[in-house]
Amino acid sequence: MTDIAAIEIPRVEGLGIELILPATIKLTGMITKNGTNPDLAGFFRTVHGDAISRGLREVFVDVSRLTFVNSSAIRLFIDWASWIKNDKAPPYILRFVTSRRFTWQQTAFAALTSLMKDVLVVERVD
Amino acid sequence: MSTAPNTSNPLRPMVFMRFRPAWAYIDGIREFGRFFCETTFGTPALAQRACVVIQEALENAVKYSSNSPDSELELVIQSDGDRIEFSVSSLPDAAHIERLRAELAQQRTLDPEQAYVAAFLRASKEPSESARLGLARIRYEGGVELSIHEQEGGRVRVTATGKL
Repeated sequence: MTDIAAIEIPRVEGLGIELILPATIKLTGMITKNGTNPDLAGFFRTVHGDAISRGLREVFVDVSRLTFVNSSAIRLFIDWASWIKNDKAPPYILRFVTSRRFTWQQTAFAALTSLMKDVLVVERVD
Repeated sequence: MSTAPNTSNPLRPMVFMRFRPAWAYIDGIREFGRFFCETTFGTPALAQRACVVIQEALENAVKYSSNSPDSELELVIQSDGDRIEFSVSSLPDAAHIERLRAELAQQRTLDPEQAYVAAFLRASKEPSESARLGLARIRYEGGVELSIHEQEGGRVRVTATGKL
């Protein structure tokens, strides 16, 4: 079993990643660079596995200061929610912490919620 | 190679840029587009829409550009006071033009929000395939309609037009 704080954080230009116990990932900045997605996808996979192994009921992903992303990054959030949804018994809830200041968050997470509302929750900080 | 549009009308805010199809340029051009739209039109919301349109349109153009020496990209931003138009001209491989035309035709069968959600659904069901969210995102989040125009020499211009 790993500990979220022990998970290796990938270095992605323009993006800040912070792991906060017990179960929060805070993403700040932007995700726009071509070719960074495999690193991020692997990181999200590791967090996903860690959450299952620790029996977490919720994982928080704070994107409220993630100001802009490309559609490939949005794809990563879709994939993550799909991993949970496709499990026979969804192991935990993915809780996105968002800001209404950034249009991409409103549109992307509304669409994601409409498809996977049983495995994710979207909350706003402002 | 296409020619630069007429920029002589001072009442028509216009940007024209020509550059090699390189990933490294996209961030800088997107942020200039944000600055230009926010400064010219004074609306942060429009600046965010511009970022989406520019990012996704340029990523698409860079990804599918041919290796020809004539494959430079052109970006134009202009407005008539009521509407704003972003267009990106590129020289893609022929197969991409067909895919682009088919994707846009499929998009037009749905309103922008429906098409956006449908693109999410497709992505969730095809985890090993390319995301193909960009055009739906441009329409919905960018608040624009898309059209494509084939030009001389195999170039294609993708135009996104919406309200200011």
